[in-house]
Amino acid sequence: MAGSNEVNANESKMVVPLNTWVLISNFKLAYNMLRRPDGTFDRHLAEFLDRKVPANAFPVNGVISFDLLIDRATNLLARIYRPAPTAPPDSHRPSLHADLQSPPSPDPFPVIIFFHGGSFAHSSSNSAIYDSLCRRFVSLCGAVVISVNYRRSPEHRYPCAYDDGWTALKWASTEPWLHSGKDAKLRVFLSGDSSGGNIAHHVAVRAAESGIEVSGNILLNPMFGGNQRTESENTLDGKYFVTVQDRYWYWKAFLPEGADRDHPACNPFGPNGMKLEELPFTKTLVTVAGLDLTRDWQLAYAEGLEKAGHDVKLVYREQATIGFYFLPNTDHFYEVMEEIKNFVSSNC
Amino acid sequence: MERRRRVSNILSLLLAWPPPPPPPRSSLPTIWERAEMGPYPFGSGTAASGWTDAESSQQSSASEIDGLLVGAGYRVRSSDLRHVAQSLERLESAIGGAPADHLAAAEAVHYNPSDLTAWVDSMLSELAPSRRPPGPLPASPTAETWPDPTYFPLPPQPHQMAVVAAGSRQREEEEEDSAIRLVHLLMSCADAVQRGDSGLAGTITDEMRIALTRVNTGFGIGKVAGYFVDALCRRIYSLSFSSSISVAGSASEYEILYHHFYEACPYLKFAHFMANQAILEAFDGYDRVHVIDFNLMDGLQWPALIQALALRSGGPPFLRLTGIGPPSPDGRDALREVGLRLAELARSVRVRFAFRGVAASRLDDVRPWMLQVVPGEAVAVNSVLQLHRLLRDPGDDAAAPIDSVLGWMVGLRPNIVTVVEQEADHNKPAFLDRFTEALFYYSTMFDSLEGGRCAAQQLQQQQQTTMAAELYLQREICNIVCCEGAARLERHEPLATWRARLGRAGLKAVHLGSNAFKQASMLLTLFSGEGYGVQEVDGCLTLGWHSRPLISASAWRADDNVAPPPDNQLFSSSVTASVPASTISSSDNNSINF
Repeated sequence: MAGSNEVNANESKMVVPLNTWVLISNFKLAYNMLRRPDGTFDRHLAEFLDRKVPANAFPVNGVISFDLLIDRATNLLARIYRPAPTAPPDSHRPSLHADLQSPPSPDPFPVIIFFHGGSFAHSSSNSAIYDSLCRRFVSLCGAVVISVNYRRSPEHRYPCAYDDGWTALKWASTEPWLHSGKDAKLRVFLSGDSSGGNIAHHVAVRAAESGIEVSGNILLNPMFGGNQRTESENTLDGKYFVTVQDRYWYWKAFLPEGADRDHPACNPFGPNGMKLEELPFTKTLVTVAGLDLTRDWQLAYAEGLEKAGHDVKLVYREQATIGFYFLPNTDHFYEVMEEIKNFVSSNC
Repeated sequence: MERRRRVSNILSLLLAWPPPPPPPRSSLPTIWERAEMGPYPFGSGTAASGWTDAESSQQSSASEIDGLLVGAGYRVRSSDLRHVAQSLERLESAIGGAPADHLAAAEAVHYNPSDLTAWVDSMLSELAPSRRPPGPLPASPTAETWPDPTYFPLPPQPHQMAVVAAGSRQREEEEEDSAIRLVHLLMSCADAVQRGDSGLAGTITDEMRIALTRVNTGFGIGKVAGYFVDALCRRIYSLSFSSSISVAGSASEYEILYHHFYEACPYLKFAHFMANQAILEAFDGYDRVHVIDFNLMDGLQWPALIQALALRSGGPPFLRLTGIGPPSPDGRDALREVGLRLAELARSVRVRFAFRGVAASRLDDVRPWMLQVVPGEAVAVNSVLQLHRLLRDPGDDAAAPIDSVLGWMVGLRPNIVTVVEQEADHNKPAFLDRFTEALFYYSTMFDSLEGGRCAAQQLQQQQQTTMAAELYLQREICNIVCCEGAARLERHEPLATWRARLGRAGLKAVHLGSNAFKQASMLLTLFSGEGYGVQEVDGCLTLGWHSRPLISASAWRADDNVAPPPDNQLFSSSVTASVPASTISSSDNNSINF
């Protein structure tokens, strides 16, 4: 047969720039050291290795950020990113939080609630890679971005991350400064990559059930799975930074004890999934990287939304790997950012 | 309780002062300008580094730092990327495929993960390949495989702001408004003070006192604001900036407050722990070791080190401790008393121990010969919250005491210097800047005192300890707000500034590694409330509250490339001793007085 589906182990080097390869390989190796076979996680080493950046209320490329404690009970932190406020006319008075928590513009503006990735276990809202991405979203969409520092597994399993996401959405819905337009509406988009995409989906379901209107979901390589073995899992296992075994480890760490991967958190359109047909579920933009071994699950997700009668735009990047959105050095990056920009502006 | 806590943090009112002048822009267009220029070209890579790295501007692009990885938190020279890539591959092979092999890698000590090149190399050297790789090593990528990335430098991000509290419920809105107003007033008052308008400043203090009645001064913003209003009043209504307006108290009172601060929150425990870790590691292999403590106080830091040395494999060394502290006013020899207690402890765990007290009102009164450093012993200099007291106004050209102290300290050729400092910028020349920074810093501090208490402690005892800890902090606040010139001792500067200063003095950083980090994190989880966090920053560790670092710990050693001062400057005994010294040795329990 002309051309096998097997790919050379060296293929990953062929499809990403050098610095991307170094970055993601570094994550891969470091993450391997953190997952223990008994299901525990070396959280201290993880925090030591994670590169973090502080919030910065001084504008950098026109964007400022600050950290907010949005729920004391769970110590839920979020990092807020927004366009720099215009300088107060009286330059002797410093801008107070009243200025930072003020609408960035008189016109309607989007609010993007972002859930960072990390397979439910890694990273934080102050991780450097996610700080960069959120800043980009602000510039791209003129948005206020709320990056939620949700509780991670294995210390906090399902449904903690979803609960935190829901807390963030409810908090945003009570903040007057986040409402815009003549109708003083919260134009909120739920967004995330990898596990963050999974969280965004489940928070959107809850929003639909509760009557909170969400303007759109933006899912970058969202993390889904199931008991079955899909073709992409077979052909791409270990080839592009990710292995099936590590996926299984993260699901086991996140899902309730004794649950399998057909749990609806992991497999929303699987045998235990809920029916979304009747719900006023929001519109979705999903990006899928062709070289992500969970690609088939992501494609099934998009299909599931469509079958349930919901609006979904699938952006399939055949030659992209995981993490293509971290560094602005490929077509994938720029074209997906353009898609996000258009999606947000047309649904805001 | 919830309601209180929500209002409490108002403070951390995000006060963003007018931004500093923007950093010099790189010659490359920003990311969005590039996008408008059309598809970015692969293979064009001239870079301008976003780092204020002195060498990069003069060298070719290849040895500059990859600007995109900077955004991800890693510093790698472009010319090293291929080497790092190859090393990562070798590291993967070296670790092996089975999950159990990864545990060995996890147990290794990691240092400074931002320096990816060094991290990979150190991992490789530490993990000797334990098995053959499953097949031939993958072929090294060729030049054609990797397009040169283009670079989009990000300017350095300076400040970290305190956490802002969110979400006021309806009932708290009024209090919140009063609190916001109070902060407005504080800022206006400080501004008036800076401009020398004492009339206006005085008027505002009256308004502030009224505003204080409308907020709950028992916790949160009300409490912090109360201390700052008090400090401003002291400044405005005093006749001079002498130390009489600072919160007076005896040295023993101060020690009591210090103790309570030690108990109430983990900052000092963290400081001692980190310093002891670094000292222990530096003393490895030495039979004779000498610790010089720049501020002995009650010697709280040393029992743990003595016990750790007692348990050292190969047996404990002979430990000398030289404790520096203020002279005791009432004829007591406080230093000696501490030394006796420590000697007793050392005896009980069979560590040969000798103590020497050096009484000095100021560190710059100390002369190196008083420390009696002996050739062949490993020397550790320990400074917990002391160095900042030697600074002067930035831009003050006269030699500051810090320079002479660092000079002789480096001249001792210490094996390790442990430095713990407040992570804050309280030495800015403009009063309003200092005031603002301090408002932020101490509000976060106070918030951590309230919010970080361990559930296990008794409530009443907790409250007393917390109150005393607040009084400890109040002294710092008053010194920052009320004092000027030589009387202002609390001249906290951020880690980045200390790094530069210590580097110039001839010290080289010794990175605190993942084992120290892990232990600190674990102790925090065991003994303190949630909200505290340890962070690794370029080989140093910071402890903070809700993502705002409040205290930093770093370790240093003499840079071998810097020549030490001639010995006669260090060991001259012709300089008359202006301060008495006493020595205690545990072996004979006699005190020898000089």
